[in-house]
Parts: sequence; structure tokens; C-alpha cells
Amino acid sequence: MTTTHPDRPGPQGTVGRRTVVATGAVGLGVASVASAVPATGTTAAPTARGHRVFQHGVASGDPLPESVLIWTRVTPTRAATPGSGRGPRTEVRWEVATDRAFRDVVRRGTFVTSAGRDHTVKLDVTSLRPATWYHYRFTAAGQRSRVGRTRTAPAPGATPRNLRFGVVSCANYQAGYFGAYRHLARRDDLHAVLHLGDYLYEYEAGYYGAGDVIVRRHEPAGEIVSLDDYRQRHAQYKADQDLQDLHATAPFITVWDDHESANDAWREGAENHTAGSGAGGEGAWRRRRARAHRAYDEWMPVRLDGTARLGDGTRLYRRLQFGTLAELSMLDLRTYRSEQVAVPALDPAVSDPDRTITGREQMRWLKASLARDAAQWKLVGNPVMIAPVTFAALPADLVTPVNDVTGLLPQDGLPYNVDQWDGYTDDRRELFAHIRDRGIKDTVFLTGDIHSGWASDLPFDRGLYPVAGDTAGVEFVCSSVTSDNLKDILGVPPRTASRAVEQAILAANPHIKYLDFDSHGYSVLDVTPARVQMDWYVIGSRLDRTTSATWSRSFATRAGTNKVVAVDRPVR
Amino acid sequence: MCVPGTGRTTPPAASDRRTVLKVAGAGGLALTFSTALGTPTYAAGNRDRRRAYVLVVDGCRPDEIDSGLMPNLAALRAGGRHHPRAHSLPVMETVPNHVMMMTGVRPDRSGVPANDIYDRGLGETRTMDRPSDIRTTTVIERLNRQGLRTGTVLSKDYLYGVFGERATHRWEPFPLLPVTDHAPDVFTMEAALGMVEEFDPHLVFVNLGDVDRVGHSDLTGGTLQALRRAALVSTDLQVGRFVDMLRSTGRWGRSIVVVLADHSMDWSRPDRVVSLTSPLAEDPLLAGNVAVAQNGGADLLYWTGPEGQRDRGVARMLAVARSTPGVLSAHDRARTSWLRLGPNAGDVIAYCRAGWRFSDPDVVSNPIPGNHGHPATRPIPFFIGGGHPAAAKAVSSELAATVDVAPTIASFFGLRGAPRGGWDGRSRLAAG
Repeated sequence: MTTTHPDRPGPQGTVGRRTVVATGAVGLGVASVASAVPATGTTAAPTARGHRVFQHGVASGDPLPESVLIWTRVTPTRAATPGSGRGPRTEVRWEVATDRAFRDVVRRGTFVTSAGRDHTVKLDVTSLRPATWYHYRFTAAGQRSRVGRTRTAPAPGATPRNLRFGVVSCANYQAGYFGAYRHLARRDDLHAVLHLGDYLYEYEAGYYGAGDVIVRRHEPAGEIVSLDDYRQRHAQYKADQDLQDLHATAPFITVWDDHESANDAWREGAENHTAGSGAGGEGAWRRRRARAHRAYDEWMPVRLDGTARLGDGTRLYRRLQFGTLAELSMLDLRTYRSEQVAVPALDPAVSDPDRTITGREQMRWLKASLARDAAQWKLVGNPVMIAPVTFAALPADLVTPVNDVTGLLPQDGLPYNVDQWDGYTDDRRELFAHIRDRGIKDTVFLTGDIHSGWASDLPFDRGLYPVAGDTAGVEFVCSSVTSDNLKDILGVPPRTASRAVEQAILAANPHIKYLDFDSHGYSVLDVTPARVQMDWYVIGSRLDRTTSATWSRSFATRAGTNKVVAVDRPVR
Repeated sequence: MCVPGTGRTTPPAASDRRTVLKVAGAGGLALTFSTALGTPTYAAGNRDRRRAYVLVVDGCRPDEIDSGLMPNLAALRAGGRHHPRAHSLPVMETVPNHVMMMTGVRPDRSGVPANDIYDRGLGETRTMDRPSDIRTTTVIERLNRQGLRTGTVLSKDYLYGVFGERATHRWEPFPLLPVTDHAPDVFTMEAALGMVEEFDPHLVFVNLGDVDRVGHSDLTGGTLQALRRAALVSTDLQVGRFVDMLRSTGRWGRSIVVVLADHSMDWSRPDRVVSLTSPLAEDPLLAGNVAVAQNGGADLLYWTGPEGQRDRGVARMLAVARSTPGVLSAHDRARTSWLRLGPNAGDVIAYCRAGWRFSDPDVVSNPIPGNHGHPATRPIPFFIGGGHPAAAKAVSSELAATVDVAPTIASFFGLRGAPRGGWDGRSRLAAG
């Protein structure tokens, strides 16, 4: 049995008895905030009648061959609401077993949490067996959590027959119900769920819903700026039953995109951030981002800087290996990027080698990930699209709605989305040249962000692609869980007005083989030595809590080809 | 690369150490095989009905199998053991990788690191085409010792040269085309079929050179690849003939057919040429003290100056190479353990970027657009077809390489033992 006291002073410099709430900016010179938590004793006492200790579900994440993170959040008293800074230190017992009935418990321990970490519990369960299903649960204040299921990664030299991941992104609470999560949670064949960003949205209640409809109102009501704001928003999303069910089904592997902090974030700011302390000011960007990262670290089953500890760093980009079959490199394309170009004409700065989307260190790391050839498939968890896309052929009256979906198309017809890799073409050129120079095969970018489904080859040279066809890899983009897509913004039925847009884009971009601007849903990614296949599933209405989900399309890339091909059926 | 020769238009003459058999091939071609003297007619191993065939589609890229132009190879792959994560090994050239296939060891042990080296003894650059260049035992010789028959059908003269008379039965490539200096695949396959029919060796090692040779010279290689595509279709037909023969003669069910390439292929633009000779000569320390062995996508640099200045010389060679446009990387051979090239490879290995080529001693020395030897040409097709259960259908994510062929053949025939120091590769059969 092990006991973890993350709030005790320790050699790693963890926070002390007075429960200092670090804002996730250790080393950045950002002030810490002392909470008003009374120094009460640790509680394990039963709670008031009817009070639920485990209101936010359980989760696991970042599976390694011998360890996996498990997570929960306790509400030891009615007052200990998320972001309140209130509530006693609480002992939480945890157990990991090979069976759902917990007859074969292989690891157990106690974790002490407090208001200093918003009563979240996150720990790395070690000494597990590779490629093994486990069940886990927590006990606190006389109550027991639901049981979660998780799975460790295969051993480094193992040759798994397949890997299967759920793939999701862009879940806007105000835009509808998370039916995509619910249907994905019903599958029992997922080794993990890849969440490619925009797990939550920062907007105030009433802004940015399902078109003009606010299906569910955000809490807190304002745009989230403070640490407590971010905590409450995480808590609201984690209270969603569909999301809880999916978390309990399989480990998550997540990256943040922009909305986990603020829209169109970059290294020194964000479109949806007003710097300064005057009227409407939201303070310093780095301070706000540090709060967002701190809340993310508390509330997500993810290792920042390679650990489950809080406050020891915010490096999100990381590798996870699955035997010889696949290595997954998860990227952070917000924290280190240069500012997006924002000019009313095609700006040569998009190809300025001094501008970066990855940051120099992450670029070196990513190139090393691809070149080291640790596994056959080089999967890249890529928050924003890397395939070059020109929107130049769009009808003028459709530029605005397409812009609303995809981001940053100025009204005068700038043909590229400069929030994607298209706005940082020198980084893409450098990465693709690296792939070509070293003969790297089987690189697959897995992407979210753009609220639409895409399958694309990644040409080394767009001009030569129709003739030579040489490619750096392929990209699969999942649709949004709920966030607005083109038909939502146009206010038209599915597969009507969007078809013209899709056809115009496909015609102008022959390397793009599939585009669905209309659907919400999820994807299933199946990886075998022979191919990687992505299945797109679409939900009915996001306004319907019980909506259905149906298979839409499937595309695959066969080993060694660096090309996508249509597949006529999904994996079972 | 090999320097194109003048071709051969008359059949090779017999040597004193072999017997020569002339037979008529299926297409009416006269085939000349040589056989080692003293080969027993009925050795113990002759009763072994297993057969292994290694078909090297020289210079083939893995994606070309999926191009739709090679249906026979695609079918063979689909029905067998496929290793999509396969690669050539440094230097990604023809001779060293064929030698690795048959020895199962890397160049620091086989003695053959590249097609062309600077021979310090001779004081000149030469092609590694001498039987004595291979300094270890091949799996061919191991099979011979077990009384099993072996055969080589190699389309390139330098391959015929380096493997010499190791195999029980050999076909000397003929006719050699004047420009490409290789025997066309239709002749090579005719010889392979004739060898199987006439001698039925347990192992036949075949090099099909068209895809590589046409790739080298295809001026449309970067875009249209017109000649290359035609070669893919043609070579695939030859492989189809071989498979048909195995099936029609009842050999299929007891055979494995290992198909791979020795390296891939990359095409350079006319303006993307790296010539290190001049910048090396302009350096005061290096002038007159460096020899260059140009290998298409790789240059091997040899310090020929005073031994006491070698370290300084290597440092300067590295600096000059790394500062030259088009050079991807340069490595101190003796201090780069993963290269495993041995002293024959010289002191510094320089690789070019994709889309470039080396041309030494001057920029017109290497006029051909298609090249290999650099990391861009690492990926290769690698699969094991055939009707024998050892080739049962499967796809593996394990790393496979040219050096795996010898241990695969050894495993298939149940050969005991391994080279002193062990194999550098491993068997890629089902139990491997």
C-alpha cells in the first residue's frame, strides 16, 4: 500500500500546509495565491445525507507499459465546490484490480487532496503489466466512486495486432449534448481515447452556442479568466454524464488547443484575451494562461512535464509508445507559437522562417520522434490542421460562413487559414523536408480544431503532387463533438449548401480526398501493421440528448504508401 | 553508383575452375551456367525438398508495389509475410546490401561498405567487385557445406564479381547493356528459370536490375517517371513468370520466395549537385590529403595525409562537408557506432539531402538523375511469399532489413550455427 501526500512539503517543492495555490507558473515569476482554507484536519468522515462525494466521475490517462494515471475529484463537503477554495483535506483511497469485482486488487493506496488542488486526485499507478485491462475506483468520506476501466500500453518490444482509439475534439457545452461521447463510451474495443483539443470552451454563458441557440449555459456565467473560473468550467464539463461515461471506459490521451485557455491563443496572447488592468482588462496573458494550465493539470488525466505532480512544469508535448506498432507524439501548438498574421491580404509573413507554430525546441523534439523510428506508425496528435488548403476557389458569399467554421479567413478572400500550419509554412516545410531527407514512412497526423472531417495526403510539393504524388504522410481530421460547423452557421439542412463548398475545396486541393463540413460526431482509429484506418461516425441532432450515431465514411493509409484510400466499411 | 561500362556482347568464357553448361532457355535464348568443379551429383542435402528463392528487385521503392503497376508482386506480398517497416542499411548501395543479404552481418564485419571505395593499398578508387572483398562466410557457402545446392543469377557484373564462384551454379550476366551495364530482366529471369529447371538449387539468389538501372537514367524521374513506370510493369511480369513456374512445377508448396530491394531510389534535379572535391581541395590542411569515393547519395572521404594529422583532417572534412549546400549530414565513421561501416568506408561519410546527388571529382562526373546511398533511399519492400507454411500470411510491425535475409534462409533450412560473433540480422520467418 502506498500513500501519496501531494500537498506536503517535499523534495520536489510541492506546496505546503497552508495550501498555496500555485498558478501553474513555477519558474515564471508569477505570484502564488494563498487560499483561505482553514487548517482543518483530514476528513474521512461520512458526509451529510444525500451529499455525493464523487460528482465528477473518474478518469485515466497517458497509458505507459507499466503505469497509467488515474483521476477523480472529491467534494468532501457541500461547500467544497469546484473553484471555491473551501473544504477540508481529504484522504482518498484508491484501488486498481484486474477484475471489475475487485477480487484481484493489484495496487492500492491513499492520496491526500485539498482545496489547494481543488480537491482533485491524480496519481501515477505504477508496476502494472503491459497491454492489460485494469479497473480502478476511489473511496472517500464513506463513499465509493464508480468503477473506471483502463488499459496499459504494450511493452516496448511487443508486436500488438492492433490498436484502437476513439478520436474526438471540439466539444462546446453550450452547443449541445455530448452524444458523440455517449456513443463512443458504448464501445468496448477502445484502447484509449485521443482528445485533440477544445475539450472545453472559455466563453461566457450565452455566447457561442448552437448557432443562435444556447442549449446549456456555461458556468460560471462570465468568460473564464481566473483560476477558480477555469476550475469551475472544468467541473461543469466533467459533470456531464456522457463525458463521465467515456472517461470511465478507456484512458484519455489529450492535448489542449486554444479554447482550454482562450480563442486563437499564441505565445504572448490570444484573440479572446484583453490584456491590461483597466476596464475590460483581463490581466497579463501569461498569468491567465498559467491559470488555465494549472486547472488543466488538476482536472485532466495527463502528465505535464512527464509527471502527475502539479506545479512542476507545463510541457504538454510528449511521446507514448505502443510496442513496435505505433508511437504517438502529442503536440502543443499554442504555447510556443508566434502570433497569427492578421492582415487583410496575403501576408508573406506566413512563410517567414522566424515565425513558428511549434517553437524551436518542440520542433527538434518532433523531428527526433519521427526519425528515431521507434515504431512502425508515427502518429502525431496535432491540434490544428497541417495539410495545405487553399480556399481560393470558394464563392464569395460563402467566405464568411466558412470563415466562421475554420477560423481566420479575412473577408477579402485570403485563401488560407493562418491559424493552422498554413500560417506557419516554414515550420511545415522544415518538418516535411526532414521526413523526405530521412526516408521516413508511415507518418499519420491526427487532427481536430476545424469542426469538420477530412482525409488528406500531405504533399511535399503541392505543385508537383498531381504528377509525382510524393507525400510526407497523411492526415485524418475528426469532426467536432458539438461545435458549430458550416451547415450550422448557414442554418441549412445537412448536405445542402455545404456540398458546393466541399466540392470547390476538393477541386482546388487534389490531395484532399474527403471533406465533411456538416457533421458532428466522433472517429475510431484502428492501427495494424498493414494500415491505419479512420472511421467517421456522425450523430443526429446535437440538440437531442438521445440522438443516434451512424457510420459515415472510412479512409485508410496502407503501410509504406503515405496515401489515403477510401475504405468501404468501418472496423468492427 | 557504379560507373557504366561498355557492355558485353559476347558470351562469357569458361574459367579453369568451373564447368560450363550451355542450355536453351524457354524463349530460345542460349543460357550459360558455370558450376563449381567437384560438386557431388547426389549430396546428402539433395533429398531436402525445401526451396528458397531470394528475388531482389533492385532499387524498388515500397510504394511502387502499391502503384497498381506491379500486380504480381502485390499479390505475392498480400499472401505472404509482409514487413512494411523494412529498410536498407548504410551505405544504401547495391553491393553492400547484397553482401549483407548473403552474409547476415554488417559491413564492419563483411568488409563491403559501399559500391565504390578508395583502396588504400592500390591508391585509387575502385568498385568492390572482387570475391576476396567479402571477408566472411556467406549463407551460400553454409548451405553448400550441408550438401545443399545453391545458385546465383545476378544481373550486374559487379555483383557477379563479388560473389564469384561461391554458389554451386552461377549465371554470368549476359548480354550487358552498354549504358546501364546490366543484363535486362527478361534475360535474367530466363536464366533464373533455366537454372531452376536444370539444376533445381535449394537456394537461388536473383538480382533483377531493370527497375534500378532505368531509375538511374530516367530523366523524367522526378515527375513523370515514364521509363521507370514501364520498368516496374516489365519486372513485375518477370516475377509473375517465376511464380507461375513454381506453381506449375509443384515447387510452390515447399518454397519460400523472399522479395526485397537492396535500396530505394531518389531523383535529383540537374542543379542540385554536390561536389565535395573542390571545397576539400581549397582547404589548406585537406588539399592533396583527401580521397573521395563517390557513391551517388553518399560520399566516402578518406584522409590520406600524415597519420599524426588525421584527427585534425577528419574535423576539417566534417566541417567542409557540413557547410556545403545539399549535404544532409556528415559523420566521423570511427566515432559513429551505428554506421557499422568499418575502415574500408574511410574516415567521413557524407549524406546528401533528398533531391540532391553527389558528383565527384567534379559536377559532371555523375550525370544520372536517379541515385541512392543517402537516408532518403532507406525504405525498401520486404516480404516472404510462397506456399511453404513458413511464409504464412502475416504483417509485422517489426523492423526488418537487408541483413535479415541470411538468417532467414539459415532458419528455413535449419542450419546450425552462425557467423562468429552471431548474425547481425534475424530470421523473419514465422517463428523468427
